[in-house]
Amino acid sequence: MNDREALVSELVGDRADTWDLTGLIPAEPLRKLGEAGLLCGELPEQYGGLGLSSLDNGRFTAHVGSLCSSLRSVMTSQGMAAWTIQRLGSAQQRADHLPRLTSGTLAAVGFSEPEAGSDLSAISTEIRPDGDDVVVDGRKVWVTAAHYAHLLVIFGRYGDGAAAVLVPADAPGVTVERVADPMGCRAAGHAGIRLDSVRLPRGHVLGGAGAALTMLVTAALSYGRMSVAWGCVGILRACLAAASRHAKSREQFGRPLAQHQLIGGHLADLLVAEQTATRVCEHASHRWDEGSPDMVTAAVLAKHVGATQAAAAAATAVQVLASAGASDGHVVARAYRDAKLMEIIEGSNELCRLMLAQHALSVSG
Amino acid sequence: MGTSTENASVEQQLLSFLEERTKTPWTPDRDLFADGGLSSLFAMELVVHLESTYDIMVAGPDLQLMNFRTVNAMVAMVDRLRQAAGE
Repeated sequence: MNDREALVSELVGDRADTWDLTGLIPAEPLRKLGEAGLLCGELPEQYGGLGLSSLDNGRFTAHVGSLCSSLRSVMTSQGMAAWTIQRLGSAQQRADHLPRLTSGTLAAVGFSEPEAGSDLSAISTEIRPDGDDVVVDGRKVWVTAAHYAHLLVIFGRYGDGAAAVLVPADAPGVTVERVADPMGCRAAGHAGIRLDSVRLPRGHVLGGAGAALTMLVTAALSYGRMSVAWGCVGILRACLAAASRHAKSREQFGRPLAQHQLIGGHLADLLVAEQTATRVCEHASHRWDEGSPDMVTAAVLAKHVGATQAAAAAATAVQVLASAGASDGHVVARAYRDAKLMEIIEGSNELCRLMLAQHALSVSG
Repeated sequence: MGTSTENASVEQQLLSFLEERTKTPWTPDRDLFADGGLSSLFAMELVVHLESTYDIMVAGPDLQLMNFRTVNAMVAMVDRLRQAAGE
């Protein structure tokens, strides 16, 4: 375990289930991890970040995911906000805003709306120029980490194109309302955001705006997909460890569960799932670190493999632990709920499959 | 404006890249997304390719599908962004 992993292990300790049950991560671990640059580890050093490679940050993300998917979700949001500002912002905007993300500011990114989930082309949030300002009107739903965030990165329509705008969470006209009792990642601070005539300086619009919505969203989500994929590796590792421990210690019919072949089969399936997701994530991170065009598709593939493997494996882990793991407060019960959400966010299973099918057609000749 | 030789070189490199990736021959004015059926995911792959190959950054308003719709459009954008970076 390296220093980064040791720090987060110490901060989480045995508190992940309490955070899950109360639906809240205390301020102190978020502040410490934020100020250590660990919530957005790939942020370049010139902006106060650690400048980790995708592979190193991915491995760290998997470690966090093995401890607490809610905390990992907050990391994903912070990292995606940093990536979006880095990717779409001007040099001045990068210099102004990125250092804040390692100085205590927490951020969230708003994509989905009541009528725009998988079909983000239906986004209706409007960013309207008005003199030296812009005025933002709209509504976002299920914005991860919005409950904790000081800064909101909001995607919306801008003229004939689209834009992302930086909205302080305490700006007049902004209302953040927590999602009541989310099924999984309960402490990730999911919230809905209402934006009622929010007036901001035009300089808060990233990169001059007017770009194609699909390209903006794909650029931002690519980071999120990598982070979720590695987080799923963490879920898989937690499930594999819990199921293996239980199968060695629990005896039925006069011998440990592990010596029953059907249970052994479940353990093998868990190991295969964990290794499969790990290798696909490593492949995607290598592509990301090389700056290869493949990175975009590799991120979708990693997210899809990670999420589907984690959801199936978490169900298997609950099956192995049976009544011992089938209540709130147990790591596999939490993993079961958290993993299901991973099949929905950052591109549902169905959307990922459609994108992968389109890619297959694009390169088939 | 870059020299016609430089732009011709970029054009040839992009045609080769597209042919290698899609296993289909391309012409400079063929619409990749309408005629070619390429996806928006592929458009982002083109962004990454242009950035890493020509040491440019395609950001903000340049992230328009029309800038990636044809090889001609990509050559023009690369030329413009290189000029801007050199100023």
